[in-house]
Amino acid sequence: MRVSIRLFGAFRQFQERDVLDLDVADADTGSATVADVRRALDTYALSHWRGYNAGLLRSSALATEDELLRPTSAIPADGRLAVIPPVSGG
Amino acid sequence: MNDIDRIDAHRIACKVVDIAEAALDPAEALAFVSDPAFGGIDLFVGRVRSVNHGRIVTGIHYDMFDPLTLKVFARSAEAAIAAHGPQAKVYIAHAKGRLQVGDTAVIVAFATPHRDAAFRGCREVIEAVKHTSPIWKQEHYLDGSSEWSEGCALCVETPEPAAKVVTTIAPMHSAATDGCVCAEHAAH
Repeated sequence: MRVSIRLFGAFRQFQERDVLDLDVADADTGSATVADVRRALDTYALSHWRGYNAGLLRSSALATEDELLRPTSAIPADGRLAVIPPVSGG
Repeated sequence: MNDIDRIDAHRIACKVVDIAEAALDPAEALAFVSDPAFGGIDLFVGRVRSVNHGRIVTGIHYDMFDPLTLKVFARSAEAAIAAHGPQAKVYIAHAKGRLQVGDTAVIVAFATPHRDAAFRGCREVIEAVKHTSPIWKQEHYLDGSSEWSEGCALCVETPEPAAKVVTTIAPMHSAATDGCVCAEHAAH
């Protein structure tokens, strides 16, 4: 399925546009999960983003506008996600 | 109906302010939480400082995932009210965009009948804002360079009760310190 991932914080440095559209395979389960999105994002980043370190994604969460998602969570029906690197408000 | 719709707008105010449009206003915070029944108001004002880790800072850019940030603010306020007084009122505001040294980045006000609960409630809310809100700061330095702060990784792998899976926003914690493991929050 097609997902749109909003990029924040340190992820913004890798491309001009703040949204990344990716096609995510349904892996083994037949229904794509957040873990599948993470794999697809990591694969894309390693091949397209100069200076990208996989450790950044490992320390990041994926979220909707309402909540953080577990790796086993289903991808929202609208395919809209955000990648949440370590936070530093205040 | 989402969490924002359900919050008690009389007791909780949460906002994000684009610095290009307006500055944060401590007077607005005090006015919101004031109540004839309250003898204690604790007000926290966070401002951009000129030095961080020995480097001269000229400004900070705050990036933010607005809708989730507002929900985290509301949940943090509700949790603090539940813990420190059902009568409490809470105001939370955070700036986004490019701030200069001295600009106000965040305001938290917590008001209750007595000061002890006001202090504790305010502290709890500002810590939650710093450690769990999807906000990022990019520091700009005198030498022209910029860096995103290391920050605090959010953890969604919370313990799962036998009958129910609960997903919450929580910072990664160290058992030794019961605090965020990142250097960022150890230093501030």
